[in-house]
Amino acid sequence: MAEQRRFLSAAGVPIALRRRQHSASCRELAVRGPRLQLRSLSAVTSAVWLAAYGLFALSENSMVLSAAIFITLIGLIIYLHFVKIDQESLLVIGSLGIQVTSSYASGKESTTFIEMAQVKDVVINEAIHMQKVIYYLCILLQDPEDPQGVSEVVPLFQSSKPRLDCLIEVYKSCQEILEQRKTVPQSNEIK
Amino acid sequence: MVENSPAPLPERAIYGFALFLGSWFGFILYLIWAYIPETWLFSLGLTYWPQKYWAVALPVYLLVAVGIGYILLFGINMMSTAPLNSTHTITDNFAKKQQQKKFQEEAIPALRDIPISEVNRMFFLPEKGICNSR
Repeated sequence: MAEQRRFLSAAGVPIALRRRQHSASCRELAVRGPRLQLRSLSAVTSAVWLAAYGLFALSENSMVLSAAIFITLIGLIIYLHFVKIDQESLLVIGSLGIQVTSSYASGKESTTFIEMAQVKDVVINEAIHMQKVIYYLCILLQDPEDPQGVSEVVPLFQSSKPRLDCLIEVYKSCQEILEQRKTVPQSNEIK
Repeated sequence: MVENSPAPLPERAIYGFALFLGSWFGFILYLIWAYIPETWLFSLGLTYWPQKYWAVALPVYLLVAVGIGYILLFGINMMSTAPLNSTHTITDNFAKKQQQKKFQEEAIPALRDIPISEVNRMFFLPEKGICNSR
């Protein structure tokens, strides 16, 4: 079953949260940001080309115009492939682990998998980020020596930065699955 | 000092007045050095002065340093803020080494750093309540 709800990101951009339940112990949560807008693309392109035309009018060198076209094309490709993240998704499988996927606008996907034995908890933390205090969801990794300690913090949804209402939904979904591992004894540890 | 209060004392009044006279003297000396031509000063016998270039350069250096200081302080603050993926946003050395005091009936529980998982459960899972906090 899948459901989709609209929220706002920390910057005020509309995002959509899609929740799918594959089974009783497996859930997928995907946060989708807005696509690349035609008006912002044309605004940036016009600004760069106007600046290049101004430079050409000053310097009478036609290489400026070709350079501006190359810069626009290559900059757009780099932006789509390395910067613009369309969708970030979280797949929680109760006995196996958590998989975090980021899909870029050019189609590239980058995936990280964390096995369940390493996951201590999934919490909503608040921290200072660029002159603002934001809420963000993060996975706490278990410290092998110290059962109470946290060895690493993995922040999630870094580029779409949902607000607290969306984060609470994701947190509740994750906690429903993570609680099952307390009641079911872990029998798949490699001794 | 025996007292640590900011109240006026005779010694503080004397320090203040000495600083006041000293700063006026320094200012008049700076004006004399900057404006009076070198030949007049040489004729008085005072020959060992720094170059007059510094009379203009030092205030400019000072003002630029103050301006850069604003930007530098802002940048140092941003650099020493813990990044989002560091454990310093969750805990620190004092919280890791804190001792657990025993729970006493009818007494206010001792002050301690509550782990973030517990805090999250209390805030965001309201159906749990506070039934499992010790």
